[in-house]
Amino acid sequence: MVLQAALEAGMDIPHYCYHPSLSVVASCRLCLMEMKVPDPKSGELVWMPKLVPSCQTPVKEGMEVRFNSPAVQQNQQQCMEYFLLNHPLDCPVCDQAGECYLQDYSYRFGQPTSRMVEEKLKNPKKDVGPRTLLYQDRCVMCSRCVRFTDEIAGTHELTVVNRGNRAEIDVFPGLPLNNPLQGNVVDLCPVGSLLDKDFLFKQRVWLLRETKSICPGCSTGCAIRIDHNEGVIYRLKPRFSPKVNDYWMCDEGRFGWKYLQDGDRLTRPVVRRGGEVFYPRWEDIPEIINYRLRKLAEQQTPTAVVLSPMLACEEAWLIASYVRALLPQAVLVASWLPVQGAEQNFPVGSPAEKARFTIRPEKCPNRRGVELLINKLGGASSTLEDLIKQVKEKKIKAAWITGGYSQRDWVSKELAAAAKELELLVMQDLYANALTDNSHVLLPSCCWAEREGSFVNQAGLIQPFERAVDGPEGTRRDGQYLYEIAGYSGLYRAEKVRERMAEQLAEFRDIYVAPDPPEHQH
Amino acid sequence: MSWKAYDRNQPVMDPQAPPVLTEAVREKIRSFFPRYETKRAVLLPALHIVQELLGYVSYQAMKEIADLLEIHASDVLDVVSFYTHFANHPKGRKTVMVCRSLSCELMGGKAVLEAVKNTLQIQEHGTSTDGQYFLVTEECLAECDHAPCLKINERTYHQVKATDVSRILADEKNAELSIARSSLFDPPGH
Amino acid sequence: MSSDFEPILMRNVGVAKAADLQVYEARGGYQGIRKALQMSPEELIDEVKKANLRGRGGAGFPAGMKWSFLPKERKVTYLCVNADESEPPTFNNRVLMESDPHQLLEGIMIAGYATRATVAYIYMRGEFTEPFHILQRALNQAYAAGYFGKKILGSDFSMECYIHRGAGAYVCGEETGLIESLEGKRGWPRIKPPFPAVAGLFAKPTVVNNVETLCCLPHIVLRGAAWFTAIGPQGSFGPKLFCVSGPVNRPGCFEESMNITVKDLIYGSKFAQGMIGNKAVKGVFPGGLSMGVLTGDELEMRMDFDSPRKFGLLGLGTAALVVFNEDTDIRDVLLNVTRFYAMESCGQCTQCREGTGWMYKIAQRISLGAGRREDLDILVETTRNMGMMPGLSICGLPDGAAFPIRTLVEKFRAEFEQHIVRQEPGKVERVLRVLN
Ligand SMILES: Cc1cc2nc3c(=O)[nH]c(=O)nc-3n(C[C@H](O)[C@H](O)[C@H](O)COP(=O)(O)O)c2cc1C
Ligand code: SF4
Ligand code: SF4
Ligand code: FES
Ligand code: FES
Repeated sequence: MVLQAALEAGMDIPHYCYHPSLSVVASCRLCLMEMKVPDPKSGELVWMPKLVPSCQTPVKEGMEVRFNSPAVQQNQQQCMEYFLLNHPLDCPVCDQAGECYLQDYSYRFGQPTSRMVEEKLKNPKKDVGPRTLLYQDRCVMCSRCVRFTDEIAGTHELTVVNRGNRAEIDVFPGLPLNNPLQGNVVDLCPVGSLLDKDFLFKQRVWLLRETKSICPGCSTGCAIRIDHNEGVIYRLKPRFSPKVNDYWMCDEGRFGWKYLQDGDRLTRPVVRRGGEVFYPRWEDIPEIINYRLRKLAEQQTPTAVVLSPMLACEEAWLIASYVRALLPQAVLVASWLPVQGAEQNFPVGSPAEKARFTIRPEKCPNRRGVELLINKLGGASSTLEDLIKQVKEKKIKAAWITGGYSQRDWVSKELAAAAKELELLVMQDLYANALTDNSHVLLPSCCWAEREGSFVNQAGLIQPFERAVDGPEGTRRDGQYLYEIAGYSGLYRAEKVRERMAEQLAEFRDIYVAPDPPEHQH
Repeated sequence: MSWKAYDRNQPVMDPQAPPVLTEAVREKIRSFFPRYETKRAVLLPALHIVQELLGYVSYQAMKEIADLLEIHASDVLDVVSFYTHFANHPKGRKTVMVCRSLSCELMGGKAVLEAVKNTLQIQEHGTSTDGQYFLVTEECLAECDHAPCLKINERTYHQVKATDVSRILADEKNAELSIARSSLFDPPGH
Repeated sequence: MSSDFEPILMRNVGVAKAADLQVYEARGGYQGIRKALQMSPEELIDEVKKANLRGRGGAGFPAGMKWSFLPKERKVTYLCVNADESEPPTFNNRVLMESDPHQLLEGIMIAGYATRATVAYIYMRGEFTEPFHILQRALNQAYAAGYFGKKILGSDFSMECYIHRGAGAYVCGEETGLIESLEGKRGWPRIKPPFPAVAGLFAKPTVVNNVETLCCLPHIVLRGAAWFTAIGPQGSFGPKLFCVSGPVNRPGCFEESMNITVKDLIYGSKFAQGMIGNKAVKGVFPGGLSMGVLTGDELEMRMDFDSPRKFGLLGLGTAALVVFNEDTDIRDVLLNVTRFYAMESCGQCTQCREGTGWMYKIAQRISLGAGRREDLDILVETTRNMGMMPGLSICGLPDGAAFPIRTLVEKFRAEFEQHIVRQEPGKVERVLRVLN
């Protein structure tokens, strides 16, 4: 469509109803343009007297269109006046202020004052779902939200009621907006009409900083953005990623990160030796680990490295290659896999091959990455179950185990029992559990938002993510301390590590970074 | 800032309530399925049938229709709210529709409307205290040659004078048609 | 003007029991379809094209041409009969269905045969109650006599016909609004392309025609295209129904050629027979409200497809006239008209949804005696900023809102201004304070 092409060319064409992943309705009439057509008599190309919606007009070879004519601009101006006719102009208290395309467009395409002297229509606010509020007054009736629930979620909760300028968005009472993808309607809403209760009045958006990330919630690996300010995360938003999540993310991912800010994270390294507990400084950790591991090597202690699917590829690689360098026989083990529920395809009820979005049961971001490394690095490998047996049979006597799960109870009884048999347990995790309590060296982890690296999603795409915030006071990024343990100095940069990995593992030469959507598309 | 908002999370109907659509009504609705490619297309007929049965389309009925046509209840609500003839609230047994379009207005429609309001002591969209009448105004009824007009349910009154109104409304049989009535939708007669 | 016009479409109006099959057949009915079945669908379409039968639903699009847009390869075709007749003050479809329902059914059969339609849906507005019962009864009779269903009259042509009732929405008369409504949805008109001929009802090739258009078909088939084009002026052939209402002596539906003028329709002895009480005509909406208004000085306008444009009107529309006389307060007319469109806009397109609503608000204030001069300018400007003709909307409803409102304000501006001048000072502010 012409609109999409124009946006991709960097043009700023105002639009509300058009969204590249929803059906075209061409109803807001804001994106209208002028177009040349052949004159019926002479056959030469002339400007058509009427405007046409650029969102509904396919691009054709040799076509000529324009957006800068007086007629086009007058229509934009007129539309903006109309949109504001019944709008309360309450930007100072509106959550959307700063990312509102009503505010933005009326400033840039509108006219300064409304000529309507009558009272504005007053529409009620509606609590349309457990997470979402609808402020009808601000709605521009673009119907994006309705089309989302019809076409992407397939759950149909949102609908239009009434007609004319009394039309409103609503749900059937008692069947609220409550589907696993519902948060997307808030992103889609070009104005501040649909609002996330969770974010309501928490932070003015212009204070937020954005960091590109990948959702760790499941193996789909949605491209996301972390919005944060002064070290505090306020919300997650999907990023456009044509190969992965299109424009969407699920609520589980969107709201599932709250555990990070619970306040009972592990924050300092611990060393236990013969019943004594020490709290070493981070600077001493490489020394301690090195000493311990060299000892294992000297004694040829059979050792395992348990790699968590929560690790970034770079971190897993640092650990594995470091341990293998000292202990070439070390067994690489893929850690526990959090699996929950069944695959959920959307629109609801559509078969997997037709799905436009999928929430996967594997609730971790990097199983494939870890498996890839274990396979490519070669040598001895094992499963977690076998490892437990081998420990019991004393065939494995030392282990480096990584956790990092949001599930605090991830450590099974068997694993906990086995761990007690180990001569040396180096443990990396977020929260205290049976393993951390019995470890000889405990290294607190950071969560994904506090780290950088890359995850390999279920489709095998290697997707880098960036650090948004610092971990709680006292912590260090896993990448950084692993880097130092492995004998490097300086600042850990995942990219640098990836380059090194790529020398050894061709797969890592090809990472997938979703393209930025056009600046003025929304 | 405080949010006073209508709560849409709570059902407006009793989830335990027995169904309002009888099997006969369901069967009648189903009998329309062969007429259209989709079940959804039976929505307007279904709403007409239900409204004729219940006098209005309750939320409970909307939900049941949705289940019958395999669509979401919100789609039924959408359609009910779009068309002016469907009501989602109980109303009087007979609906008085007074035409307010231009020909009728020019011929005295406003006075007729006033007379109806006075006689029934109700305003537009009101139901008389005895539950008999519900009053609405309508755009052109396509009877402008007989302006001003009003309808009581299916029956149309022509050239109504304000002075006729009380007599018309007092008549018990004022909603009865003078012509043979077809069933709301007859099955094709073959 | 031919005063000896022989009624064709209305020939059975006033005939006792004309709605009965036997009476209709006895008066030559169902011969058109018999003749049509002897022709091929292509021959039939050619004949209708030759007759240049232009749609009577408002847009005046040639029916034969519309049918030939159907894709060559198609399994299913739907015919939608537009019996939504919601344009105030139009009632010719009602008269046709009430008085001569079989004529319509025969027209449906012919159009169905020409377009190889498999099902015909008669979309009838919800307000039509008596006409519905009459038409449904006629349809039952026609089915019983083998005019619908499988292998009609022994031919290979099969078609079902159902009545689908609307429920109060003007916009469902717009052909794609009608299709949406038939599909069980809100009557939000669709964007085009695709046009209904390619992907209409249930995404299948679909033809939408008005009742009166279809009623012409039996006569075209029986009497030939040449007969049809002999009636009326160039480009506006065939018999046409004209509705006249308002304070005239004999309101009603009259059949004539499109040579007739507005004046004849109001004053002619065979027509409305002049104004009640010999009042002067202040204005006339000659084509349904949506086409715009004529002043009392413009009554010589000919009621054909092309003349209205010369008078600043949108077109012939439904050829339904409503006359208002010298006693009418122009502000009441404005209020009535603006309300109609504000209530009936479907609410999809911004300019239509907000524009019609705003104009209604302004008209309300003007009618309360609190108008301002700039209101008149805003009204005119608003009408220029809406509608399908300038490309600003999906359907033609706002064009239909723009023309009457603009022509009212422009042609009667002096009167509006007089009211404003005569207003007490401070009235605007006071009214606004009460309203707000
Ligand atoms: C807002 C609107 C309302 C309309 N209402 C009607 C109507 O009630 N009846 C009708 O026949 N055509 C109506 N039309 C015209 C139809 O869209 C369509 O042109 C017509 O049904 C085609 O039939 P015809 O070619 O036989 O005239 C309406 C158009 C618009 C834009
Ligand atoms: S609530 Fe937002 S997304 Fe939905 S129609 Fe209104 S403006 Fe569009
Ligand atoms: S122009 Fe008006 S009536 Fe037509 S589709 Fe748009 S909003 Fe609806
Ligand atoms: S009409 Fe093109 S973006 Fe809305
Ligand atoms: S104006 Fe009242 S019936 Fe047409």
